[in-house]
Amino acid sequence: MVKISVTREALSAGLQMVNGVVGARPTIPVLSNVLLEAEADHLSLTATDLEIFVRCRVDAKSAKAGVTTLPARRLLSIVRELSAENVEMDTDDKHMTEIASGAAFFKVMGMAVDDFPAPADFSSGAVFTLEAGALKQMLQRVHYAASADETRYILNGCLLSFRGNKLTVVATDGRRLALAEQEQEIPQESETDIVLPSKTVNELLRTLRDEGPVKITLTKNQAAFEFDNVLVISKLIEGTYPNFRQVIPSHCEERVAVEREMLLTAVRRVALMTSEKSSSVRLSFGKNKLKVSASSPDAGEANESLPVKYTGKEMAVAFNPEFIMEPLRTLVDDEIFFELVDELSPGVIKCSTPFLYVLMPMRIS
Amino acid sequence: MALHLLHVDMDAFFAAIEVRDNPALRGLPVIVGAPPDRRGVVSTCSYEARVFGVHSAMPSRTAYKLCPQGVFLPGRHSHYSAVSRQVMEVLESFTPYVEPVSVDEAFLDVAGVLHAWPDAAALARALKARIRERLGLTASVGVATNLFLAKLASDLHKPDGLTVAPEDDASIRAWLAPLPVGRLWGIGQKSEAILAAAGIKTIGDLQGLGEARLVALLGIGMAQHVWPLANGRDERRLSPEPRDERTISHEHTFDEDCRDLERVRGVLLEQAERVAVRLREAGRLARTARIKVRFGDFSTITRQAPFPAPTDTDRELRQAARLLWEREGIRRPVRLIGFGVSDLVTPGEAAPRQPMLFPEFDRSAAPPTRERDRRIDRVVDRLRADFGRDVIRRGE
Repeated sequence: MVKISVTREALSAGLQMVNGVVGARPTIPVLSNVLLEAEADHLSLTATDLEIFVRCRVDAKSAKAGVTTLPARRLLSIVRELSAENVEMDTDDKHMTEIASGAAFFKVMGMAVDDFPAPADFSSGAVFTLEAGALKQMLQRVHYAASADETRYILNGCLLSFRGNKLTVVATDGRRLALAEQEQEIPQESETDIVLPSKTVNELLRTLRDEGPVKITLTKNQAAFEFDNVLVISKLIEGTYPNFRQVIPSHCEERVAVEREMLLTAVRRVALMTSEKSSSVRLSFGKNKLKVSASSPDAGEANESLPVKYTGKEMAVAFNPEFIMEPLRTLVDDEIFFELVDELSPGVIKCSTPFLYVLMPMRIS
Repeated sequence: MALHLLHVDMDAFFAAIEVRDNPALRGLPVIVGAPPDRRGVVSTCSYEARVFGVHSAMPSRTAYKLCPQGVFLPGRHSHYSAVSRQVMEVLESFTPYVEPVSVDEAFLDVAGVLHAWPDAAALARALKARIRERLGLTASVGVATNLFLAKLASDLHKPDGLTVAPEDDASIRAWLAPLPVGRLWGIGQKSEAILAAAGIKTIGDLQGLGEARLVALLGIGMAQHVWPLANGRDERRLSPEPRDERTISHEHTFDEDCRDLERVRGVLLEQAERVAVRLREAGRLARTARIKVRFGDFSTITRQAPFPAPTDTDRELRQAARLLWEREGIRRPVRLIGFGVSDLVTPGEAAPRQPMLFPEFDRSAAPPTRERDRRIDRVVDRLRADFGRDVIRRGE
């Protein structure tokens, strides 16, 4: 039984770390709860939805080791409302936990720990160590391109390809594709590809810090991420990811540098005049000018011209505005590069770091 | 939430138009639909006929038995469509936010024009008066805070009714409570029987049941749909732009329930061609195909599927009809067969298409034969226009 003293701040931070995977209506009741495991000098908080498993350790003082489970959402809302610095928790043998903090006192009904699922075994498997910040940035730069169409489940996540001494992270919904890459020492026998579900990617984006290492352990159908005091274990999407190399254009006819922020705001403004029926904006490249325009028979029209250095052939390409804006929002470079072949072939957005984004123009039939 | 949604339902629409156009029919039981000595159903009947138990979708023969003195009229459907258009025009004179549901009913969102009226009920009264003045027809109107309640309200006091649903949650729940569960959208005979077996007859019974018990009875999908409705909640919004809900369809009722399913299939494929011709005449493309099959016991199924890309060719419409028919694997005698298309678009305004980067994912490409099919269809249409329909037939 848990008997522990912990700071409100540490408890709150730990609960927020694990709370993301607690579902609203889990199939097994105990999955609405967070598992609390007390040790002499720390408290482990664990939550899972059977697909993802998140554990976070926070500093705490405990007279003796003990475990219990408490409703995750309720516990977090209680802790959020507390104002004293310390929180004392004491569980009886019926999984009733008393929570005392300053003058506030709660008795919270818990549940037995027996049904709480144990995490998978990760004592063997390929191990990689990365910079947490770098992994987070790569995921951030590609994850939005993943598909939400459940009939294409293999695309409902990010591909992490550990090959050729590089980690390549890819996401696509079949219409556009985002790819980020970084050097990574990978022994030949450890080369592998995994597809991480979007939900796990979002959990990682939420929990990964910008500094420190992250240790990744891969087994056949699961991946474990360990960083700071956090452990995230996720099921993987099984199946064969489409050959993404085949859709990356091997050459381009025109390459033009554009100020990222300027293009983003122009597309955002002009897209106001698109409608559900005809959601496309045209990028017209002319001599030292890029015109962004949109028109919709029932709404009206808009255009905005940006100065660019361009002396190539005149070209007008239509894109889904959302597909242009998403990479522009996540990149930080002042300048990005647009590479084009012609009106109907995929365009490419690049920046000064190893990133590329391929997007298919729309056809006005 | 303020009362801002109206459901307008024309009373006995087709029959009312016949009576208006021919005052000699006033006060008589008028029945529009198939003749009483032939297969086919009643499409609308006047309130005088309803007294005898006649209702729409009832076989005309049954209607005749119930009401032999009824005035049976074949129906002038293009005329009704024209009047329907006039009705919609009247509605549009109140607000541009009109969503036609069928020829004789529509939803209106009047939130933006309410400031010009004392309240929504006053607007609804003016609207009913204008329909009567301009068109000589009556409508029943429901006023509510959401679409479901508006539709329910319009049906409560027919004909020529005006029903305003309550505004706050508690009153809405109390208002719904005495109504039978069958009033909830999605509760058909089957669900009604399941609920009745559990002692649930009224919406109030259902409210008292709790969502968890409802899930156990009807399954999660149905329960999640019905539970909010039973509590008067409906999140659906009226589409701000008038949706293109026009459809083109053909139906055929067999003289006797047809056991020869090859024949039924043949009729269906011919209907697909007829629909294709009308689609081309209208200069439009369809996004969705559907079939309707009714059996001897009147149970009816409709199945629909989107086309890979909007189309108007014989080949693609026939193919869709065949696919939908075969997918159902029907073995029972068929009373009625129908084919239709919906979600029509005009070629010029067809939305820009987003092709796939990965060719293996492309479901939306037009078939490679599209252009050739178009040319064949044009030639066949011209031949038939000059020499009649039977001058040329498709080989299987």
